Amino acid sequence: MDLIDLSTVENSPEHHQMFLDQLCERLGLDYGSYATTSPVSGAVQGYANYPDAWKMHYMRRNLHLVDPTIHRAALSIAPVDWSRFQRDEKFEAVFFAAHDFGIPNKGLTIPVRGPYGDRGLLSVTRHCPDREWEKLIPKIIGDLQMAAVHMHDAVMRSDAISRALRQPKLSAREREVLQWVAAGKTMQDIGDILLISDRTVEVHLRSAREKLGALTTVQAVGRAIGLGLIYPK
Amino acid sequence: MIIIVDSLNKHEYPELLDAMFQLRARVFEGRLGWEVNVVNGREIDQFDDLDPAHVISVDEDGDVVGCMRLLQTTGPHMLSDVFSCLLDGEPPIRSSRVWEATRFCVDTKKLTRGKHPRSISYVTSEVMIGAFEYGLQAGIKDAVAVIDPVMDRVLKRSGNAPYGYLGSPKPMGKVTALAALMDCSQQRINNIREFSGIRHDVFAPQPALSLAS
Repeated sequence: MDLIDLSTVENSPEHHQMFLDQLCERLGLDYGSYATTSPVSGAVQGYANYPDAWKMHYMRRNLHLVDPTIHRAALSIAPVDWSRFQRDEKFEAVFFAAHDFGIPNKGLTIPVRGPYGDRGLLSVTRHCPDREWEKLIPKIIGDLQMAAVHMHDAVMRSDAISRALRQPKLSAREREVLQWVAAGKTMQDIGDILLISDRTVEVHLRSAREKLGALTTVQAVGRAIGLGLIYPK
Repeated sequence: MIIIVDSLNKHEYPELLDAMFQLRARVFEGRLGWEVNVVNGREIDQFDDLDPAHVISVDEDGDVVGCMRLLQTTGPHMLSDVFSCLLDGEPPIRSSRVWEATRFCVDTKKLTRGKHPRSISYVTSEVMIGAFEYGLQAGIKDAVAVIDPVMDRVLKRSGNAPYGYLGSPKPMGKVTALAALMDCSQQRINNIREFSGIRHDVFAPQPALSLAS
């Protein structure tokens, strides 16, 4: 999936919006939004590519205070389909109004948890019949999981202290795998060299990639070299 | 039957959760002798406060006979904190596509040997099917599970062998603990179903036919 790499650009609302736009375009979605609640102040920080009229209405009515996609989905470890939310007043306050603004009612929220107890939520929506939605989600769920963590980590790294705290901590195995990838070896080769299964190699590689905030393996290798974690070829 | 209880629906299952904490106390403190915190016959730790998902197996009598706890590896989890010794001092895996499974146990007092629905092997398979199907739907590709050598052998014998291990086994009470890797894939689910003969939807009540068999 070809998306703007948020870990290499300035942490600005424009970049986050661009990321959401690209995500929606690539995965066939109508709208995307991201929100995180500060554990200290309780303030909600968010980005969305919804129509401005809906964003204004949402902010004016303080709907973030009752929005179940923010308060309920964070309690789950798995993505939460909006059909799972209880149809209570809080739900109606947000979703009935959203409907009036043309926001689709088919939606999914992917909860992210960070290492310091921080939590973020990536929500996506699309106008479509039930069957189409049910077929779409399994196809894009993996990409959504990775996009959600990428965006959350980028938002969390937005100040100097967080950046210092969040230096990627790669294990010896993860560095080894990246070093061999940099040398052009395949997963199978690396598994044979390190005497582990190629699936284990893949898990280490994926973990290293995400710790480095990279969306692709090439980016991860470049960044690991830049940080002095591995040697250039 | 498998019920997933997380912080979204736990108010609906207070008795189930309570029975699960009691099962964990019997297994991890009683049988395995791990250094766990048991209060009033219930084993509850700080990770239970972090909104995990519990995969709970309930038998025909309504008793909790098996369970497993799932957490995202992107956030705080046991391998990043209390089980870091298993990783030989290395930082843990952190991936949106990997979940951690801990506190995996079955009721060996109530369950028996064999492959029938009241057996250790059947409930172990049922919990694993439930966890993997839940993970697969969530876009998860792999699970890292903290298990003991007995569970490791049960998994190997039931078409469900880990494909790798992280770090090295370490003593944990009367037994050792190890961090095993398992792919969260349809292939593995099929293998477990093939071995256990569980063909029905594990999240729904068992059909009468299999109760009679």
